Amino acid sequence: MTRPRRDPRAERAAARTAGAERPRYDLGAKASASRRPRRDPRTEAASQRVPGAARLRLDRSQFGVVPVLAAHAPERPAEKAPPKPVIVENPDFLVLVAPDMAGGRLGEHDRQLFGAARELAGKTGATFALVGAASPDLGPAGADRIAIAARDPDAYDPDGRAAEIVAAMRALDPRHVLFAESADGGDLARRVAVLTGEPLFADAEQVSASALGRPARCRKVEQRSAPTRLVTVAADCVASYAGAPREARLETVELSTDRTGAAGAIVSARLIPADPATVPLALADFVVSAGNGVTDLDLFARVVAALGATPGASRVLCDAGLMPRDRQVGASGTVLGATCYFALGIAGAPQHLQGVADCEHIVAVNTDLHAAMIARAGLGIIQDAQLVMPAILKELERERGDRP
Amino acid sequence: MKLVVLLSVGRHPVSGKPALPRTEAQAIRIAAELGASIGLHVGPDAFPAEAALGHGLDRAVHLACAGGPDPIGPLVARIATEAPDVVLAGRRGQGGEETGLAPYAVAARLGVPIVPDAVAIRPAGDGLVEVDQALPKGALRRLVVRTPLVVTVHPNAPAPLPYAFGKARRGSIERVDAAAADLAAVAPAPEERPYRKRPKMMRAAGGSAADRLKAVTGEATAGGAKILDGPTPEDAAKEVLAFLRRVGVLAPAGAGATGPTA
Repeated sequence: MTRPRRDPRAERAAARTAGAERPRYDLGAKASASRRPRRDPRTEAASQRVPGAARLRLDRSQFGVVPVLAAHAPERPAEKAPPKPVIVENPDFLVLVAPDMAGGRLGEHDRQLFGAARELAGKTGATFALVGAASPDLGPAGADRIAIAARDPDAYDPDGRAAEIVAAMRALDPRHVLFAESADGGDLARRVAVLTGEPLFADAEQVSASALGRPARCRKVEQRSAPTRLVTVAADCVASYAGAPREARLETVELSTDRTGAAGAIVSARLIPADPATVPLALADFVVSAGNGVTDLDLFARVVAALGATPGASRVLCDAGLMPRDRQVGASGTVLGATCYFALGIAGAPQHLQGVADCEHIVAVNTDLHAAMIARAGLGIIQDAQLVMPAILKELERERGDRP
Repeated sequence: MKLVVLLSVGRHPVSGKPALPRTEAQAIRIAAELGASIGLHVGPDAFPAEAALGHGLDRAVHLACAGGPDPIGPLVARIATEAPDVVLAGRRGQGGEETGLAPYAVAARLGVPIVPDAVAIRPAGDGLVEVDQALPKGALRRLVVRTPLVVTVHPNAPAPLPYAFGKARRGSIERVDAAAADLAAVAPAPEERPYRKRPKMMRAAGGSAADRLKAVTGEATAGGAKILDGPTPEDAAKEVLAFLRRVGVLAPAGAGATGPTA
């Protein structure tokens, strides 16, 4: 195939603008053969420019965006109404879910449990959560019905809780009962299995409406079976429920328990919290971490002790030998599971941020407004960490002095 | 104090050779430090009993039976004759159904309480023991429980004693044929196939490399941040402490010592 031959004279004649005395040609309007719009690197760079910075900063992720002048900015779309909850009015069967809900909150494992329950319930079934306290997260997590158990959530009474589940099973006759394969959930599931005498499919890693799968014999074989009544679901194996929120209708269930057996054998139960100064970093709940912006490590140690936190450090400090290696946070150190992370003088390399990805709340003190750690933080403070640390100590001391 | 440790045939996690499960070896250490203790195994193979002697027990009982029957009946019968104060077991026995139900079933048949996930046991005088139970995030629950009881051992318990060949030779194994009346048929085993490794579940699949990196570092979930540009250190300190109190990791001002755990 040959390209049609161009005739430059005819093209030029076609571009001639009419009416002028002198011949004038509008050559800029000529469509290019590829029809691709011509790039203007200067406009692109201007559109990538981050406003407000003293020095030139370009946000390269804004590639190919043409700047929109404020006058021509499109109207903001109206706030979307929250999606309507899915309602299963007359379910064919129920899937009872007993989430751990440590601290009254729905954890990641609990959400995965609801994901597995929704998988088993399908379109015609309903998930029924038996919880210690109602939570607004239950509907979005995938609960169609909920019932509140009457027991005290803080008391240690696993036998009582198992008896409640058995009573709920008697009242509701669910097709499946799901537990988390965690310390609490696994214990509860086995107590229920012994009380009811039914087989337990423990540690299920694959959950579908047709089959359950679990590893066995040191992960050499995989056992599969049709979904049984009692199932415990392993962590991080089943996806959480991601569909439209469910109804989470509150229902009342008769949970009368007849306590028999070895009840009352436990004389006392006392909770001993972990010592934050010595607990391994991976188990710590509140970590205060120092980076390159911290030069006075004695002061840092005093701040950590005053806050009752576990000390951590970035790779730079550990490499320099200023902090022990077992205190390093990040991809090559420890991946944290803390509730709160307080970063002092840490800019936030991607490898460091991987270590704090699971932390729920992050506070960052850094001199650079554009540090990745500030972007990740829930509270970012643009200030020198060396100045903020003594101020925190002084503030804590003042509060202690104010106390009558 | 008299103790019984339940033993099973596990597999070494790396080589796949028969080995005592680690939590059972840890249970042996706890038992050997507390007093006279014996190991108890039901099955065709005497291997766990021999391994238990090497890890610190003086005496083990092998209740021999062919095939893989339900071990609960012979275990309960033998434990009833031994009448121990504490029955120790691993978190989940291996080689059988591997559901972790055996200690619970034994406790229910004996009518005694069960305490899961213990890391330490101490006698607390007059028919009581103090059991430290491991909780998530390094916390402990200290329970005082009436004996007899069944306890399962958590992986955070003290490391097992190393295997000693001489100790294994000196110990004695009592081999008894399990009474046929105690043996019950097991439920039919589920279908088995070779294990296939599955891809790790990701928070956010797909997207560009930058999106996936954001998902890994948690930047995708960040948002609603409060940023203070250049406050005085005093204001910054007040703001930080207020945030930490709102989150709940720091005790409220005037609530005694700082830190919820101090």
